[in-house]
This record gives sequence, structure tokens and C-alpha cells, in this order.
Amino acid sequence: MTRRKLSLAAAVVTATALTLTACSGGEAPAADTSKISIMAPFLEAQPPSADGAVQQKLEELTGKDIGITWTPNASYEDKMNITLASSEIPQVMVVQSKSPGFVKNAEAGAFWDLTDKLDEYPNLKTTFPEVEQNASINGKVYGVFRARNPIRAAVMFRQDWLDKLGLKAPETTEDLYKVAKAFTEQDPDGNGQDDTWGITIPKWGALGSNSPYDIIEEWYGAGNRWTEKDGKLIPSFETEEFLEANRFVKKMVDERLINPDFATFDGTKWNEPFFNGKGGIIVDVDSRVSVLINLFKQANPNDFENKVGFVGNLKGPDGELNAHPTDGYSGFLAVPKTSVRTEAELKNVLEFLNTMNGKEVAALLNNGIEGVNFTVEDGKAATIKPETAEGKAVSTDIKSYAQLGTNVTGNNFYPVKQASDYEQQVFDKRVEVMAEDLKSAVYNPAAAFVSPTYVAKGAQLDNIVADARIKYLAGQIDEQGLKDAIKLWKASGGDKVQEEINKLWQDSK
Amino acid sequence: MTTSTVDVKAPEQAPPPAPAPGRRRRFAVHFAHYKWLYLLLLPGVVYFAVFRYAPMYGVSIAFKDYVPFLGVNGSPWVGFQHFQDFFSNPDFGRLLGNTLILAFLNLGIAFPLTIVLALLLNEVRLSILKRTVQTLVYIPHFLSWTIVASLSFLLFALDFGPLFLFINSVLGTDIDFLSDPAWFRPLIVLQEIWKNTGWGTIIFLAALATVDQDQYEAAIIDGAGRFRRVWHITLPGIRSTIIVMLILAIGQMLNTGFEQIYLMTNALNRSVADVFDTYVYFVGITQGAYSYSTAVGLFKSLVGIVLIFGTNWLAKRFNQSGLF
Repeated sequence: MTRRKLSLAAAVVTATALTLTACSGGEAPAADTSKISIMAPFLEAQPPSADGAVQQKLEELTGKDIGITWTPNASYEDKMNITLASSEIPQVMVVQSKSPGFVKNAEAGAFWDLTDKLDEYPNLKTTFPEVEQNASINGKVYGVFRARNPIRAAVMFRQDWLDKLGLKAPETTEDLYKVAKAFTEQDPDGNGQDDTWGITIPKWGALGSNSPYDIIEEWYGAGNRWTEKDGKLIPSFETEEFLEANRFVKKMVDERLINPDFATFDGTKWNEPFFNGKGGIIVDVDSRVSVLINLFKQANPNDFENKVGFVGNLKGPDGELNAHPTDGYSGFLAVPKTSVRTEAELKNVLEFLNTMNGKEVAALLNNGIEGVNFTVEDGKAATIKPETAEGKAVSTDIKSYAQLGTNVTGNNFYPVKQASDYEQQVFDKRVEVMAEDLKSAVYNPAAAFVSPTYVAKGAQLDNIVADARIKYLAGQIDEQGLKDAIKLWKASGGDKVQEEINKLWQDSK
Repeated sequence: MTTSTVDVKAPEQAPPPAPAPGRRRRFAVHFAHYKWLYLLLLPGVVYFAVFRYAPMYGVSIAFKDYVPFLGVNGSPWVGFQHFQDFFSNPDFGRLLGNTLILAFLNLGIAFPLTIVLALLLNEVRLSILKRTVQTLVYIPHFLSWTIVASLSFLLFALDFGPLFLFINSVLGTDIDFLSDPAWFRPLIVLQEIWKNTGWGTIIFLAALATVDQDQYEAAIIDGAGRFRRVWHITLPGIRSTIIVMLILAIGQMLNTGFEQIYLMTNALNRSVADVFDTYVYFVGITQGAYSYSTAVGLFKSLVGIVLIFGTNWLAKRFNQSGLF
């Protein structure tokens, strides 16, 4: 008897173990048009709560029961791939980039092809068709892209240092060198010690990641990842301008105008040398201007103006302005086929996304709830001061909800009114400078193209050149070494990538 | 009466009339006899079945072109394609070299140091001192690699790290320890020693406690000094423990420590820093090449198995008891 019980127990345990190990192959939930499930990243310390004021308002405005799976930004890509392999697939997924994982899934048929479908919806028919092309995979649109300002590159510098040394804001790369040299050698903080440098660059080497190196190369005319030469597309690092730009950066490294630990310096501490008066220049996105001003403001609310100066893109040595744009989007909202099975269901989801990008919801996602955390003053959203607990909760939540905004027809929400007149002036100047630079933007001509070889091993290939670039700047290898690395890139599969990109480019014409 | 029935039954069972049912019956008796021991074994079996053996099913994606959307079963088979790609990749030699060099450095330097430290601690007479030192050397083990790496960055930071300043002023050099490829391996081994040597002494100290004290007395009477006693009594006494620990260490050898190396890597030292573990992460997780990175991981495991069997075989050859 006992023996039988025991073997039964063993059988049960084994069976349980088998069930546990078997992949959960459940059924997808039945279509219910009143429910929408979304997977999105959050960049704050905590995801917004599911019963917060913003969520309730969002459900009220869209008339849907919305379930959002908030996933930490740092592990989003892994979670996305795992989710696609599971049975719990949301109806709308934020896809952050055309990563190899996404491309493989899309080409295997995991997502709806929306190429000819978006035009029916007034809020999804984009006013930036070239950005939609950039976000596509070889012309196939797999999602509603999340629009971003294409021009973001700026040079930020310590205005007080510049004034003290009687210098002018840089306009060309040569000016940048002069300012960096003066900041390094002329004791801009006036403490009598040689303890300052010009430009601070953090550990940030990947190719085409809008790093300071990428930006300076573009200013020199090397192009944006790919560039057209003699009727063919070549990677920008194969141009003479690429070498010139890096010679220029190397000269600054050698003269110690750049922080010597640029290869290892932690990017999250990027503002510190600027704020602490060590390194006076940062080349990065213009939104950092506000971050820097805020640092000074927090330290001393009475004296923070005229600490931070900035200019937009710089002219290269030939006097031409080649402004560095991003691809104009930050991922897209894609619709998986496993959870949205029929055209009718797709229509339901797209109608929902159309509502999401309407004026009312856009204002909710980006500004918050009027009367709770902001009021409208001269067409701008002004934060209600003093902040109520309720208003603060809304302001915190929308930092995450903004991730769901696409704004493919331009910004449908209110611009934010800055906290002080000075900050408003700086903000307005930023908008002005960026709009001016947009006219001289040099885009990546191959942004839309996805080459199979690049999907398979592009990142390893690019690492060859990216690491060589840093090694060259640090003096570990000479220019010949850098050229050899570019040859190695070509020999290890880069030639094939180039061939494929050119074919896609020719076909698209 | 009762005993006699049992006696009668037993010989009936013993000669097997037909082999298959008899064996099954004998196993049933055996099982009934040891049922509680089997019950004790059960959690372990279930653990290994669920968490160690079942996931091996996922290894099959090394031979497929895995796409998450298609699932493990739906992805097409590609045979040894990923292995071919890996072996023909220019990275292969570098990865294998870096992994093996780091593994042997750790084994050759950190492992003996553990024994040395255990011997030193064993020779300490003052009990309070011994215990204090033991506790102190265990502490680093409980710090995460992130903290160890942060400490290293602070200590060796270019131009202001205290160790950077001290070493370079003593040697009159200008070495950037954090980005100089020549200093990557020494730093990694030093970190490993600092973090894990103390913890590793626990087993050796336990083994040292079992060495027969009479032998020491006899040796003292014969006039043996401290070193002779260590060499002729202590070390032979813990020899089998050393061998077992060595085989286990070799089995773990290729696990060069993903976190530690990942945190210490930068563009300037990547040529010596890339090992299998970081490569699998870089290619597999950040680029979504799951099949390829599984193939790389599988290859690493194969090398690990070869190393374990090889060491075990060697240990047996030299007349030592092996692990199995």
C-alpha cells in the first residue's frame, strides 16, 4: 500500500516537473475590442501605477480598458524577445530600434506590415514621410514611429569661463579647438592652478550612436554613417574626412584638451566636471543645456544665469555647415500578429492608436491633466506651483506615459513653459538654433536599409572600427593601424554589407 | 510462526524464474526497504531535473536559426552552421586565448594562494587573532563585483586615484592601469585574489583540522622545523582535498566571471578582455543572435568537460584518488 502511494507520489512529482518545464503553450486571449494591451519601457525609478489618475483619464479618453506592461528600459530588448516567444503577447509593442532581434522577428512575420494602412488615419498619416522611411525595414513600415527632433547636436560651454577669457562662442571646429585650448591653458577658473581641460568625453565609442566623435566627423563632412561618393554609398569611416576629423580629435587628446580618461570615464557622471569647473565643454544633445542649467540653479538659485552657454552645430574646416541629425525617431509602436489576428482586429488597434495621437490624448501623455498639474498660459503648459501631491503624481507618471506618444503629425501637445524668464529665453534659443541647423542637416542615406549580413554580424563588425578609433585617439595605434582596422572591417564581412546596402539603395530609387 | 513465513517467502523470491519480472520485483523490495532514503533523494532529483536537465532542451537552438516569434520548435534547423561560423570567425582564436590565459592565471596564482593562506592561518597560535583574520578575509567575498570594480576605478583612476599616483611615483612611470591592455590581466587576477582567496580557505582549514596531531608531536621530537612539518605532514595530509578542489576549480575554470570582466572592459583593453562569457552576452543578448551565442556557450561547456575528465584522469594516473 505504502509502496503504491509512494510510486504515485513520484509519478505526480515527475508529471508536475514536466508541466513546469514544458513551454507554456496556452491559447491567445480571444478578441475583445474594448481591451487593449500594451508593452512599453519606463525610464523612471518605478513604473506608474495601474490605477493612477493618468491611466484613468487615458481609459476615459480612449474608451478602452488599457493594460500596460511597463518594462525597465535597460532590459527592454531582452524582455521584448522573450515576450515574442511566449503566449502572452500584447496588442501593441513599443519597439525601440531596428535591432537584429526585431528585424528577424519582423521578417519571420511576427508583426503587421502597416505600409499602406496608416494613411487612412488622420493622426497616423505622418507629416514626416522621410522619417517613416528611416524607421522602415527596406521600405516596409512595421510600426508607427515615435518622432524625435532630428537636430539635437550642440556644443555646451561654461559661459562664465568664456566671458572671463574674453572669447567668442565657437562657430567652427577651429574655434572649438581654440576655446578648448584656452580653457585648458589659461586658467579659466582663476584659481592659479593648471587643473582644467577643454572638452569632456565619456566612455562612448559605438559607431553611429550620436557620440561626440560621430558628431565631429559629420562636421568635417564625413557623412552620417553612410555617404554617397561616385554614385555609390560608402561607410563614412572610409572617407578622407573621417581621418581628418579623428586627426583633429587626436590633436586635442595629445595636447590634453580632452579629459585623458575619455576611454573609461563613466557617462552618468558627464555633467560633473562641467559643473565642478574641471572640463568646460560638452558636445552632446541640446537638451543637456537644461540639465546643466538646473544643476547650477539647484546649487545657487540666485546665481545660475550665464553659467551655461551653447551653440548648435559647428562649421567644418572647409567653412561648410554639415549639421548632424539623428534618424528622427526613437523606435516605433508595432502590432504583433499573434495577438491581433484579423484585419478587423488590426483596424480596432489602429483606431485606438489614432485616438492616442489626437490632441486630447497627446496633451495627457505629455503635459498631464489640466488643472491638476498644469494650466495653459499663452498656449504653453505651466506647471502649477506649489505642487500638490496629486499634481506631483501626475507629473511623475507622464514621464513614463510619454513613451506611448508617437507625434507623427508634429507635436499635438502644449510646449512646456519654462520655470523662469531666463530659462524660457534659453529654451526659445534652443528651438531657434535647432530649426536653423535643420536646413543644413546631412542625413544617413541608408537609414531605411537593413542588410542581412549587417543583421547577422554588424555590431561585431562595427566594433572593429569603433575600438580602433578609440585606440588611435589614445595613441595605442597609429593612423595606419586605424586604416588597417577599416580594411579588416571590409574583409570580415563589411564588403558584403556595403554591397547589400548599395543594392537596396539602387532598388529604392 | 511469523519468522518462518518470512523465511519461506524469501528463498522463493531469490531465484528468478524469468529475468524481467524478477528483477523488477527485486527492485521493488529494494525500493521498499530504502523508501525513506529515496524520499530524501527526491527533492535533489527534482531540482536537477527541472533546473539543470530540462533547460538543456534549449540547447537545441544552437543547431537552429532561432527566431523568438517562431519558437524553439518552429525555428528551422541549420545543423552545425553556427559552429562553423564561430570557428571561422577571426574572433575565435582571440576569445579562446583570452579565456584560457585568464583561466590559467586564476588557477595558477589564485588557487595556490588559497592553500598558502589556509596554511598560514593554520599556523597562527593565538586563537583570537586567527578568528579575526579569518573573518576579515571572508568579507570581500560578500561584496558584489560591481563594488569591486567601482573600488578599482577609484583607486586606479587616471591622475587622481591614490594607487595610480602611488605606484607611478614609486616607479616613475605613467601607467594607466584601467585602459592599458598589458595591465588588464594582472588587475583581474588581483581582484580575484582580493575577493575570493579568503573564502576559499574554508574547506582547506576544515581539512587541516583533520590532520593527526600525534604526527606533529612525533616530528617535533625528531627535530623537524615548521617548514618541514608543513611539507611532510600538513600538505600530504590534505593532499586529497587539494586534488578534489583542483578538479572542481578546473571544471569552473572557463567561467571567467562575466560581471567582473564586463565591468572592467573598455574600448582600449577589449583586445585582451573579450572572453567567451562576455562575447555570448554581447552577441546573444544585445544583438539577439541567440542561436549563435548558444553554440558558443555549448562549445565552452565542451571544453570544460574535457578539462574535468582530463584532470581526473591525470589525478588517477598519478596514483591519487580522482573525483569519480
